[in-house]
Amino acid sequence: MMFKRGNRVEVFQASEDEAWEPYMNDFIGVHGVVTDPDTSINDPDDLIEVSLQGKGTHRLPQDCLRILSDTRQ
Amino acid sequence: MAKDTCPVQSTLQYLSDRIASGVLTDPKVRRICESIRMLVEEISLGEAGDGHMAAIDDLMTEFEKRTPDDTAVKTLYFLQQVLSDHREAFISHIETRNCPSHDCGVIAPSPCQMACPAGIDVPTYLALIAEGKDDQAIAVIREDNPLPWVCGLVCTRPCEMMCVRGRIDTPISIKFLKAFAAERALSDRRYTNPNPAPPNGKRICVVGAGPGGLSCAYYLALMGYTVEVIESLPFAGGMLMVGIPRYRLPREVIDREVAMIEDLGVTFSFNTRFGTDVTYEDMKARGTDAFFLAIGAHKAWDLGIKGETDFPQVIDAITFLKNVAIGDRHAPGKHVVVIGGGNVAIDAARTSLRLGADKVTIAYRRSREQMPADIEEVEQAEEEGIAFAFLTIPTQITGSDGRITGLACIKAELIAKKGTDRLAPVPILGKEFTIQADAVISAIGQYVDDSGMKAFDAVNWTRRGTIEVNHASMETSMPGVFAAGDAVSGPATVIEAIGGGKRAAEAIHRHLNGMPQPRMPKIPVRRRKVPMIEMTAAEKMRLSRPVMPMLNVDRRRTTFQQVELGYDEAAVRKEARRCLRCDVCRRCGKCVEICRDKMGIDALHLGYLDFDHPVKTDFRLTAENCITCGACAANCENNAMTLEEKEGKRMLKLCGTILNEQEIQTCDACGARLPSAQYMAFISDKTADLTQKAEQRLLCNDCQRKLSARNHVPTRPVNPT
Repeated sequence: MMFKRGNRVEVFQASEDEAWEPYMNDFIGVHGVVTDPDTSINDPDDLIEVSLQGKGTHRLPQDCLRILSDTRQ
Repeated sequence: MAKDTCPVQSTLQYLSDRIASGVLTDPKVRRICESIRMLVEEISLGEAGDGHMAAIDDLMTEFEKRTPDDTAVKTLYFLQQVLSDHREAFISHIETRNCPSHDCGVIAPSPCQMACPAGIDVPTYLALIAEGKDDQAIAVIREDNPLPWVCGLVCTRPCEMMCVRGRIDTPISIKFLKAFAAERALSDRRYTNPNPAPPNGKRICVVGAGPGGLSCAYYLALMGYTVEVIESLPFAGGMLMVGIPRYRLPREVIDREVAMIEDLGVTFSFNTRFGTDVTYEDMKARGTDAFFLAIGAHKAWDLGIKGETDFPQVIDAITFLKNVAIGDRHAPGKHVVVIGGGNVAIDAARTSLRLGADKVTIAYRRSREQMPADIEEVEQAEEEGIAFAFLTIPTQITGSDGRITGLACIKAELIAKKGTDRLAPVPILGKEFTIQADAVISAIGQYVDDSGMKAFDAVNWTRRGTIEVNHASMETSMPGVFAAGDAVSGPATVIEAIGGGKRAAEAIHRHLNGMPQPRMPKIPVRRRKVPMIEMTAAEKMRLSRPVMPMLNVDRRRTTFQQVELGYDEAAVRKEARRCLRCDVCRRCGKCVEICRDKMGIDALHLGYLDFDHPVKTDFRLTAENCITCGACAANCENNAMTLEEKEGKRMLKLCGTILNEQEIQTCDACGARLPSAQYMAFISDKTADLTQKAEQRLLCNDCQRKLSARNHVPTRPVNPT
């Protein structure tokens, strides 16, 4: 899955990635918007910046996210 | 307790119910519970101080000694459990005056503030800018970000992505309003540093003078630390200076804000490479108590294609942009090809053009839709004449006699690989072609250069080649060593580095004072409570995001002058007034539900309240049906919706926007103030079978009752039996 800036996403599961920290379990089920996608090399392994409703902005592994809809303007 | 419910709010509700129901019959237990309830309510409202938790603990100790019946025991157990399991949430409410779950609505931060990696209190500073208080706005911003002017020009603005106004029309132009305020405050000589705490005798070494290092140094200096910044470049700014071209971020902007940090006593050692010119042992010998690593990600990935190392005209974008920042003004070639699709590729291409290249082409292996570069940057590059070759995979750099003649490429198509829906570029056999080139710039990403970090041997590195930290505290696995910025995240954004630097400064302070580190990154803090700005619904809807004036294209193709010229003052003030003040209205939707479902009026058309499925919003439509009954305002927990009386009118306002105003009337008989005519008509219609219309007169309830009684008494049937 490739994320783009403005994608509405949901943290739908915990990630197996080493970048997943215990406090991120609080994010499961939360919706948000991709604010900075994987950068120049389009690496599915990159951490992407997501602003989550009521939880702030965090860099998360991509395997914990799924796209809800694209609202890019 | 429900999983997502705020424990502070749940405790408040539980105690309120217990007290109101009268089940706490023992007077002392009841008094203890009332006292705890009061303290919890203050915590919920963001009014609690440092002594609140200690006071609750004392009351709990008192409670434990007196459990006269089962109800008291149950109450005690509930409180013991919630205070044990969720103590951090209580403390977080006290320290941050914020409720992460938004249940304690009055103290919840706005979505834009939550979106900002540095947690800047956006609605507050926008309200101050709207009123022309630019210096105060800058003071608010610098409580979370020491570089407001820099960010006002180059921030990737996640705040605008979450801006609630964007659900109505377009997001507020938050980024540039910040730049305007910084520029104006500096021009007025009112951009000042806060007073730092007295020196505490502790010394911190910051490695790297990029945005992360500068941010950490600033907040440590304010806390009274002696900060020395080690920087390998001859100036401060890091990637701000050598990675972002001057047409986006003039050097003077960086210099002025760095000077403000220097004024706080932070010292910089330039042209000094950590690990070579100065070592870990040197710094320890100087009495350094903690280290902060903000070394950035300055190494470029190789292309890995034939010919890459055969020609001096092949250069990576980071080195190219750095050379230009240092003063090199030679065009890399006449026909330049830049490989990559991110912002760095765009910067390298536009810089090449400004240095005099005849033709600049960006070769990107995916489609336009998938370019990670900012859409505005791509559009500006196209306006300037940069060509794009999409779905183009470079295969070889060709040339002779030490000079490049072309970049051999093959056309690609995007195909989903097995087991994934991610589209990958796959070469189309037979579709080879060559782009004429005499210089090739690679811009396919960067990584962290760890060569100077050997002394930090206990620091763990991730498999991505970045420094491993606990993101709540930015603490590495080596005690006393903290890190943030691109060195931790990989190549990321300026504002993330600034936010990380700020978090690290606080964590260093905790570390050196024996305080425990937080479990998770702190929720942003609201810095001020600024009054709302009154305006009509028509004005609120009519205001629109201004168009950014741009430098003319000829000058953009030939000079490094700033491309975005900025809004004029009138546009800035108007744009700031467009803000919906989401720090006050938390979009719970109660007002809409009550108006529609309880009152049956449906006057509020606030489709923007829904995050996932926003529908049409028009503040102007409220006046068509609203009867100024005030049911919405009475049920608004945050006082975002208010019903006010002013100059003979009753006004319904949402965060200062006048949704409706109706004449205040008086009783014809006694002169008492009455609801609006529309409200009276609404009540009359609802009660028409019970109450006679008052003969076309406006009467208060009392007078109407009297009249009704006079009319009814003579006609009351008399039972003869």
